[in-house]
Amino acid sequence: MSLVALPTAIAEASTTGQLGTGAATLAQATADPAGMALFAALALPFLGALVTPLIYRALGERTAWFAALVALASFGLVASQFGTTGSVSVDWIPTLGVSLTLYLDGLSLLISLLASGVGVLVFTYSAGYMHGEPGQARYYGTLLAFMGSMLGVALAADLIALFVFWELTSITSFGLIGHYRESESSLYAARKSMLITVSGGLFMLVGFVLLAFVSGDALGSTTFTLIGTPDSMIANADAMRTALESAGLFVPVLVLVAIGAAAKSAQVPLHVWLPNAMEAPTPVSAFLHSATMVKAGVYLIGRMRPLLVGDEWMLLLGTLGLVTMTVTALLAVGASDIKELLAYSTASHLGLITAGFGFANQLGAETGAFHILNHALFKATLFLVAGIIAHEAGTRVISELGGLRHDLPITGIITAIAALGMAGVPPFNGFFSKELLFESAYEVAHELGGLAWLFPAVAVFGSVFTFLYSIRFLWLFMGEKPAALGEVHRPSLALLAPPVVLAGLAMIVGIDPQLAVDTIVQSAFGSAVAGEAHTMSIHLPTELTPAVAMSAITILSGIVLSPFYDRLRDGVRRLTHGPLSADWYYDNAVYGLERASGLALPRIQTGQFRTYAAWMLGVTSLLALAGYLAAGVSIPAFADLSITAPVVIVLLVAIVGAAAVTRAPSHIAGVLTLSVLGFMVALFYVLSSAPDLALTQLVVETLVLVIFLLVLNRLPAFYGDADRGTVARDALLAGGVGLTVTISVLVATTGSPDAIARFFVERAPVPAEHGSILADFGGGSNIVNVILVDFRAFDTMGEISVVAMAALGVLTLVAMRGRGESS
Amino acid sequence: MTQFVLAGVLGLLFAFGAFLVLRRDIVRVVWGVTIISQAANVYLVTMGGLAGSVPILGHGPPDDPATITDPLVQALVLTAIVISFGTTAFALVLTYRIHEEHGTIDLRELGETGGES
Amino acid sequence: MSVITRTVTRVVFPLILLTALALLFQGHNLPGGGFIAGVLTVAAFALVYIVNGLDYLQEDLLGRSGEDVEGGPAIVADFLTVFAGGLAIAAGGGVAAILLGRPFLSQAVVFLHDLPIFGELELASAFVFDLGVYLVVVGGLLTILTVVGDE
Repeated sequence: MSLVALPTAIAEASTTGQLGTGAATLAQATADPAGMALFAALALPFLGALVTPLIYRALGERTAWFAALVALASFGLVASQFGTTGSVSVDWIPTLGVSLTLYLDGLSLLISLLASGVGVLVFTYSAGYMHGEPGQARYYGTLLAFMGSMLGVALAADLIALFVFWELTSITSFGLIGHYRESESSLYAARKSMLITVSGGLFMLVGFVLLAFVSGDALGSTTFTLIGTPDSMIANADAMRTALESAGLFVPVLVLVAIGAAAKSAQVPLHVWLPNAMEAPTPVSAFLHSATMVKAGVYLIGRMRPLLVGDEWMLLLGTLGLVTMTVTALLAVGASDIKELLAYSTASHLGLITAGFGFANQLGAETGAFHILNHALFKATLFLVAGIIAHEAGTRVISELGGLRHDLPITGIITAIAALGMAGVPPFNGFFSKELLFESAYEVAHELGGLAWLFPAVAVFGSVFTFLYSIRFLWLFMGEKPAALGEVHRPSLALLAPPVVLAGLAMIVGIDPQLAVDTIVQSAFGSAVAGEAHTMSIHLPTELTPAVAMSAITILSGIVLSPFYDRLRDGVRRLTHGPLSADWYYDNAVYGLERASGLALPRIQTGQFRTYAAWMLGVTSLLALAGYLAAGVSIPAFADLSITAPVVIVLLVAIVGAAAVTRAPSHIAGVLTLSVLGFMVALFYVLSSAPDLALTQLVVETLVLVIFLLVLNRLPAFYGDADRGTVARDALLAGGVGLTVTISVLVATTGSPDAIARFFVERAPVPAEHGSILADFGGGSNIVNVILVDFRAFDTMGEISVVAMAALGVLTLVAMRGRGESS
Repeated sequence: MTQFVLAGVLGLLFAFGAFLVLRRDIVRVVWGVTIISQAANVYLVTMGGLAGSVPILGHGPPDDPATITDPLVQALVLTAIVISFGTTAFALVLTYRIHEEHGTIDLRELGETGGES
Repeated sequence: MSVITRTVTRVVFPLILLTALALLFQGHNLPGGGFIAGVLTVAAFALVYIVNGLDYLQEDLLGRSGEDVEGGPAIVADFLTVFAGGLAIAAGGGVAAILLGRPFLSQAVVFLHDLPIFGELELASAFVFDLGVYLVVVGGLLTILTVVGDE
C-alpha cells in the first residue's frame, strides 16, 4: 500500500468500517487488524481538522456535531478491529528505514477507544458548552487534530512515529490550553505545558535514539520498530535488555524514557503544568485529563514495561508514582477551585497508574491497565460536571458552592457515582483498581521486606487524601445552599448527556467489573506484561485480605478526618508557599532565563554589523577549538602532501595580495590588489591539476574586477576608519580565526576521502566494453564535468538556481527603488 | 612539513578576511567575504591532493584511480566560484542601494541610526 | 575608446564566443563545460559593453530596441528569458528521465555507429543539462552586469 493510495482507501474503509462494526467482534483474537481501518481511523481526525474551517463557514456552531461524527467514525473504525492484534505499515522514509507502522493490541485498543470515544462525548458537550464562545473553528480543528495525535501515539508501532505524534499532542494542546488568547493566565498555562511536555519529549527522544542504537547490537540491524514484528524491540526484549546492560545504557534509557512519560503524565516534580492547564475550556480539560495527553505518558510506561521492567524500573517508577499520588492528593485537598481540585487529582491518579505499572509483578500491570479505564470514566465525568457547575452556577470556587442537589439532581447522581469511584469506595469502579494497587504493593513488600514496606504504607496514606477530596467534591451537592449563590439553571441536554453516558459506564464497571475485564482490560493488561499473562479475576472481596484491610483503613481514616477538612486544607496551603511549591522552581527558572537573555541581548545584538560578525567569528572559532580539545585530536606529522616551489611562490604572492587589501588606501587600490589574489588563486589551480577551475577563476576574476569598478564608480571614497584600539582588537580576533583555521586544516588533512573520488574516477569514463546505450556510467572523460552534469546534477541544479536568484535579486534591488517604504 | 605551510597560508588568508569583515566600510566587508571564499576554495582543492594528475581521462577507465586528483572537490569549487561571483555582485548592488538610500556606506553610522537617515 | 580598441574588440568578440561554444561542446570529454563557457561568453559581452557602451551592445549587436523594462534596459528582458529557459531546459531534462522511469536528472549516453563522417558518435544526454547550465549562467550574469552597468 502506498501513501498515495491512502485517500481512496480511507473513503472505502470509512464505509466498510461502520458496516463491519458489529460483525468484526466475532473475529478471532489472533486475527490481524485491517490496515485500511486503522489508517483511516488515524487519518480521519486530521482530515477533519483540515476541513473544519470550511465546515465552520457552512455550519457555524453546529460544527461540533460534524466533529463528533468524525470522532464517532474513528471510534467505529477502531472498534471494528476489536479483538485483533498485529501491525500494518506503509513506507514513510524508506531510505532511513522509517516506515509508518501501526500496531494494535489490547493496550493501544484501550487507549484509542478512550481517546475517540471520550472524544465523541466531548464534542457533543462542546456543542452546548462553547455556545457563543470566540474562535470556534480553531477550537474544533485543533481538538480534532489533538484527538488524531493521541490516536497516533496509541497506534504507532515505531519510535519515530510515536515521538512525532507525541510532540503533536503537545503542540495541539498548546493551542487548546491557550484557547482564550486575550487572557494572560491562559497564555502562561499554554506556554508552561508546552515547555514542560515538549522538553520531556526531547529527553524521551534521546532515550529512543539510544534504544535504536543498542538494537543494532541486540538484533543485528538498527531498528526503530518498537513492537509488532518478529525483529522488533519488544519481541526480543531479553536480547535488548542484555545489550542495554552490557552497553551500560539500561539505566540512562530508563531514566530518559521516564522523564518523557513523567512530563506528559504530570508526575512530581513535573506536575506543575497540569493545574494551570485548567485554563482551557472545560471540555478540553475533561478530554486532556481523562483520555488523552496525560494518558500518553502512562501509555508509554505500559508499552515500555515488557522491555524495561525489573528492579531499577520498580524502584524508579514505583516510587515516582506513589510520591506523585500522595503529594498531588495533598495539593488537591488544598485546592480552592473545583477544576484545580480535579486537576491535582488527575496527577494523583496518574501517579497511581504509574505506580501500578511500576511494580514488577502481574498485579501491578493489572492495576495500571484497569485504572486507565476507570480513571478515564470517572475523571471525564467529573470534569464535565465541573463544567456544568461553572456554566450554570457561574462560579468554580469551592467555598461558594453547596447544596447543588436541589437545582441539579441528575448531575448530583452522576457526581455521586463518579466521585465515589474516585474515592475508591465499594462497589464503585475505582475501588477495584485501587484494591489491585494495594494487593500489588503488599505483594512487593512481602517479597522484598525492609524498606519496601513503605510502598503499601504510602499507598494507603495517599489514598486517604484521595478519599477526602473526592468526598469534598461530592459535598458540593450536599449541605445547604449558600445564600450568596444565585440562581442555578438546569443544564441543556448536550451538556448533560455526555457525563450521564460516562457515569453509566462507570456504574456498569462498578457493578460487574469482570465484564469490563473480559471485554478489554484483560488484553490491555496482557500488553504490559513480559511473557504470559495470567487471567484476571475481579469481584467484590468476600474475605479479609491485607488489601481489603488497607481499603478499610483508608475509608475509615477518611471518614474520621473529614470533619477536619478545612484545617487540612489551610495547612496544605500554608506549606505550598515559596520554595516548597513546585511553581516556584518553574517560575524562577523561566524568569532567570528571561533576565539572562535580557542582559545578553544588548551585548550581542547591537545593530552594529561588526558586533554580529565578531560574535559569530569568535564563538565559531571557540566552539571549533573546544571541540578539538574535547575530542582530543592530534595534529598529524605526515609528508604526503608535497608542495613544489612554484606553489609556494604563488601562495606567498596571494598572501601579500590579501595583506595589501587590508591596508589599501582607497577602494580602487583595494580592488586591484584583490584581483592579484584572485589571479594567484587561478595560478594555484593550474599548478594543482585543475584546468577547469583555472579557466573559470581567470574569467570570473576579470568579471569581478569589472563589476567592482562599475559599482565603486558610484560610491564615495571612504577613509574614516577605527582608532588603534579597535584595530588591535580586530586584529586579535582575526588572528584567532586564522589560528582556528590553521589548526582545522592540519587536523583535517589526516582524513582521506579517497573512496568517493575513486567511485567517480571509475564510473565517469566510458568503459572498455559497452552497449549502444550507457546509463550507469557517466560516459565522459572530463570527470569534473561528468560529476557536475550527471552524478551530482541535482546539486548543480540548485547551484544554477542560486545564480538565477542572485540575478533576480540584483534586478529587484534596483527595480524596487522608489517603491514601498523607502526612507 | 608541507601541510604546515599550507595551513599557515590558509590561516593567514582567513585572518585577513576576518579582519576586513570587521571594518566599518561596507566595500571592505565585501572584500573580506571574497577573500574568505577564495581561501575556502583553495582549501577544498588542496584536500583533493595536489600531486595527482589532471582528472581528464582518455578512453576507458584509468589503470590506477589513485593517481588522479580528486575530481569531486574540483566540481564543488567550480560551482562555488561562479556562485560567489553572483553573490559578490549582489552584495555590491546592495551596497550601492544602501548608499543611495542612506547616503553613507559607513556601517557604524548605519547601525547607530538603525537604518533610518 | 580609440579606434584601435574598437576594431580589436570587433575581431576578438566572435573569437571569444567561438571559444566559449567550443568549451561548451567539448566539456564532457575535455576541459570546459557549461559554467566555463557561460562565464567566458559573459566576458565577451562585458568587453563589448566596456569598449562600445550599452547602446551599441543592445541595439547594434543584439538588434533589440524599445522601452526600458523596470529595473534596467530593454535587453534585460531577453536575459531573463535566457536564464529562465536555461532553468527550464535543465529541469526538463531531469523530468524526462523520470518519464523514462529513472530517477530525476539521471543521464545516459547513446552511441551511434557507422556514421558517414564521424564514424562512432557519442551523444550524451548530459549535454542538454550542460546547455541549461550555460544559459542560466549567461542569462544570470549578463542580467547582473547590465543592471549594474546601467546605473
